[in-house]
Formats: sequence, structure tokens, C-alpha cells
Amino acid sequence: MFHFISKRLKHSLVLLFLASLVCFTLVVSAPGNVAVLIAELRGAVATPGYVDQVAEEIGLHKPLLMRYVDWLGDAVQGDFGISYRTGQAVNADLSKRILVTGMLIAGGGVIATLISLILGFLGAFWPYRLPDRASRGLALIGASTPTFFVGALMIYAFSVSFRIFPSFGFEGPESWVLPWLTVAVLPAAVLSRVVRVGLEDAMSSPFVLTAKSKGLGRTAILLREALPNITPIFINALGTQVGLMTATAIIVEPLFAWQGLGDYFLAGVRFRDFMVVQACLLLFLSFFIVVNLVVDLAVMLTDPRIRRQWS
Amino acid sequence: MRNEPLLSVSNLTVNLLTAKSAVRPVDGVSYSVRQGECLAIVGESGSGKTVMNFAPLGLMPTGVTTMLSGSVKLEGRELIGLPEAEIQKLRGKSVGFIFQDPMSALNPVRRIGRQIAEMAELHLNMTPKAAEARALELVKLVGISDPAARLRQYPHELSGGLRQRVVIAIALAGEPKLLIADEPTTALDVTVQAQILRLLKDVQKRLNMAMVLITHDMGVVAGAADNIVVMYAARAAERGPVDTVLVNPRHPYTRGLINAIPRREDPVGAEFRGLPGLPPALAAPFKGCAFTPRCDMAVPACSLARPPLEQVDGNVFVACPVVNHGKVAA
Repeated sequence: MFHFISKRLKHSLVLLFLASLVCFTLVVSAPGNVAVLIAELRGAVATPGYVDQVAEEIGLHKPLLMRYVDWLGDAVQGDFGISYRTGQAVNADLSKRILVTGMLIAGGGVIATLISLILGFLGAFWPYRLPDRASRGLALIGASTPTFFVGALMIYAFSVSFRIFPSFGFEGPESWVLPWLTVAVLPAAVLSRVVRVGLEDAMSSPFVLTAKSKGLGRTAILLREALPNITPIFINALGTQVGLMTATAIIVEPLFAWQGLGDYFLAGVRFRDFMVVQACLLLFLSFFIVVNLVVDLAVMLTDPRIRRQWS
Repeated sequence: MRNEPLLSVSNLTVNLLTAKSAVRPVDGVSYSVRQGECLAIVGESGSGKTVMNFAPLGLMPTGVTTMLSGSVKLEGRELIGLPEAEIQKLRGKSVGFIFQDPMSALNPVRRIGRQIAEMAELHLNMTPKAAEARALELVKLVGISDPAARLRQYPHELSGGLRQRVVIAIALAGEPKLLIADEPTTALDVTVQAQILRLLKDVQKRLNMAMVLITHDMGVVAGAADNIVVMYAARAAERGPVDTVLVNPRHPYTRGLINAIPRREDPVGAEFRGLPGLPPALAAPFKGCAFTPRCDMAVPACSLARPPLEQVDGNVFVACPVVNHGKVAA
């Protein structure tokens, strides 16, 4: 078990390094010049001379490799540099914003899990009947509606028409509901199908015939026999969805005026703010890696057949 | 001394309807089993022997509409027409089931102990703790070594033979009066087959249960059963005490089956004697005897009318007019 985790972490380091290289290349090769933007931000006319001066100031004149090595040297020590845009330490910005995005993903993940289990279970209990068709329809709609549109609908329905929840802000539980629901729609739709199909699959396994022969009822068979069998599959799918929620956060946070990582990342991209983009990407990637590791451990806990291979 | 049979099936017909097709895997079959008796039901794959025993107890796959007619009485209680909720109460409690493939019959992610103890909780109203103790007893009863450790294990950690013993323990856990074993040794290693069969026979005698043993292995029949029903294409071809039927088979199909068993005096390298031809599909109803195309004694009349199951001597019933009355009379 310990061996497994340390091996996975070692692989993760290599992955992080390669990813930082890729995203450095992408950012420096993107069109636009951050020095021009900074000059404009300072209210000056971006004359070539002034732009050069700014570039000199922030170290853009150095060779690419040097810039990368400088950045990497600091990053390894946990220092992600100074944001070109805000002039503040990226670390300080990140630590404020991680909490916001963490809240968004955690809440969304919990809601998606609950909704998908309920929908999937209803569908599996009455296969091909009304609850099943309804949950399938909902899943189809949920999976194919773009998140920004879902968010707009949520605001229109719950803030404008019914005035139940505020449309923006990060003040209290009430203001968390709409962003949570918005990020949860897509994963809930995908996961409800995983639950429904997994349960149906499990229900046609031979051990269900044994369970039936024991005199167990349908509900007991679904909960006691089928559900434990789909737990590993569900956890796997949930892990992927939670990882993907970082991408959804980029869309949802600006929509509800949440000052989270997604919002920060987007602003960084617009400003060619290499420091911010790089830090955010590495953070997202680390999150993905950690989620995957947790998923693998959780699957080991829920599936004795896999547990055996690693213990 | 022996009065009412525990299970009494008469003129049972099963029709299965799926979205696309209709088949009749069981067509007017009758038999009965008394307490302490073992009845073997023998036939080729697809002859209806499993459906015949599972359908009246509601053990059919979902998506199939099962239509039953005739009568199936368990302890004097008619099962046909009984609502599923009532039949569910009988499963596990009055009837224990053993399945063909122990590799897939157990839930892979639940501990053996739970899978057995659950039965005692459900049917004997035991507390989880008492049920665990009962599970331990059962595991010992079915001859599993190191029983306490086994209860904490998962199915994939056990061999096929051990798993089948666990399945038997589950079947016994509700203290049923009838055991239905669907090819309990087919999926096992040859060396393990004899052990499992001996175990089944042993617990059946010890607990004085009735047992229906579904098999296509004549060797199994000879060792274990008191009575036998030979099934061919959804119908009973011959029925009677095992000693009589195996020694003196009358129906041409029974004879063919017994003749197909390899014998010790067969020369090395001799070809297997099989039955020529294939069993018919069950979708189309046949007017006459279904065995006619493969029968070496068939006369033209065989394909005209369905042969009745007639008592010949003792308790032997044979569905073949040619055998019962001679070629001319048929």
C-alpha cells in the first residue's frame, strides 16, 4: 500500500515537470505581448521604447530557457513569483482563491453524487418504465446543455423569477446553492447513467439469481448486492468528473462573480500573465493527480479483488 | 408412513414470452418428491429441466414473461397463481437452491460470512451475531477447513469446490425442506465433483430433506437419486425408480443416453457412442413424439399423436407406444 502510493507520487512528479514544460511553451508562443498590456495598465502610451523598458523590467528579454529555469527554480521552492497583472505575489492570490474553488468543487461533487445516485437508482428500480425514461431524459438534457447556459437558466429561474437565491456573491450558504447546482449538472447527468447502467449490469449477474433464491426482495438486492458491486466503477467515474470540474469552475466562477481559481486563471490567460497561468495549471494538474490517487485508494478499499493485488 | 409428497408437480406447462419470441420449455410434466427422497431430472441442454424447477418459484430472468399452467404443490400449497411476494417468502426458507457455476454464484465484493449469515437473519429471525455463529456452524457442516477464517474471506480467494460448498451452506442456512440443485457438479473439476455430490447426498440424508437434482450426468444419477425423470424436448420421456430405469431403460431416448456412457470394456481409442441428430427447437410445437426423428424404433404413427406417459410396471412410466404396446399396436 505504502509502496503503491510512493510509486504513484514519483510518477506524478515526472508528470508535473512535463506539464509545466508544455504549458510554458504554450504561454510563450501565444500571440500578444504582456509588456504592451502592462504598459497600458500603467496608463502610459505603449510606445516601443516604453514597452522595451517594461519587458526589461519583468525579465522578458532573457532567453526562453533561462526564463523557464528561473521560474522552475522558484516554483520548486513553492514560490510562484509575482503576477504581472496585479503586481502581487501569486502565492498570496492563490491562497485566497483556493478556498473558493475548493468550496465550489466539493459542494458540486456532493450534489452530483446525491442526484446521480437517486436518478440512477430510480431508473434501475423501474427499468424502461417512467422513472427510468424520465431520468434518462434528464441525463441527456443535463449532459448536452453547456454550463454557461445552465448557469444563466439557474439565475433566471431562481434569482430573477422566484427570487429564492442570490445570483452572485460568496456571502453565505444561500449564495452557494446556485453555483453548486450549476457545476453539478453535467457530472450528475453523466454519473446517473453510470449508476443506472452499472446497476442493471450487476442485476443481470448470476449472483443476483443466488440473492433472489435466498428470498431477498428487489430493493434489498439492489442495495446490498448490486450497489457494492458498482461502487468501484462509480468512484472511478466520480474522480474523473471531479477533476473535470476544475474546467467547469472557469466558466461558473465568473458567472456568479466568485473570486476563485477559475476566475483568476481566466484573467491570467487574457493578460498573458505567464506566472498566474503556470501556477494555476500546475495546481489543477496536482489536483487531478491527487484525485486520481484518492480514487485508486478508494477503489482498493471497496473492491477486495483489487485490494489483494497491492497488499 | 410416507403420506403426501413434499413437492408434487402435475401437468406443468411453462410458456416463456419475450419481446421477440415464444417458447414452451416445459410441456405437461408431472413428478413428485417426498421428504428424504432424491429425484434426479435428466436431460440434454435445453430440455427444460432447469426452467421446470425455477419458473414456479419465480427464479426467471427479468424481461421474460413466464406463463405457468398445471399444478405445483409445495407442502400441499399451490404455487401457481401465488403472488410473487408470497413465493419470495418460500425461497430460501422452504426451498434452498444450488447453482451450476459457483464461480459466479457468489457476490464478489461481499464476505462469505455475510452472504451466509444474511440467510439466517432473514429466515430464522436471528440477530446478526447469532447469524454469524450459525454461519460458522454451516461452514463446518459443509466440510470447509479453517471455517472461521473462511467466513472473513471473499469468494475470489476460494477454489471452485470451496465456493460450491459455500453455495450449499447458503442453501442450507434457511433450514429448507426441499433442495433444488441445478447441475451442482457440472462446473467443477472431476476430482471435486465426487466430493460435492457426496456432501450433498450426506446433508440431504442427515437433514432429511427432499432434493431435486438436475443433471445431465448419468453417473451422478446412479450414485445419488432414488427416482428419475428423463426429459426430452420439454416433455418427460420416462419416469421411475432409479434402480429400475438405469438397469432396464425402456424409452429409446433413455436407452440411447445410457448407451452413450463410456464403459470400461470399451477398447482404447474406440469412438464415443452418441445419439445421432440434434434435439428439436422448442419454438415450434410438435404433433407427435419429439424424439421421432432420432429414434431407431420409430413407426409412421409416432409423428402423428403425442405419446401419453403410461405406467408399465411397478412405478415406471414410459411415453412410447411402440415400447409399451409393440410396433403393430402403435
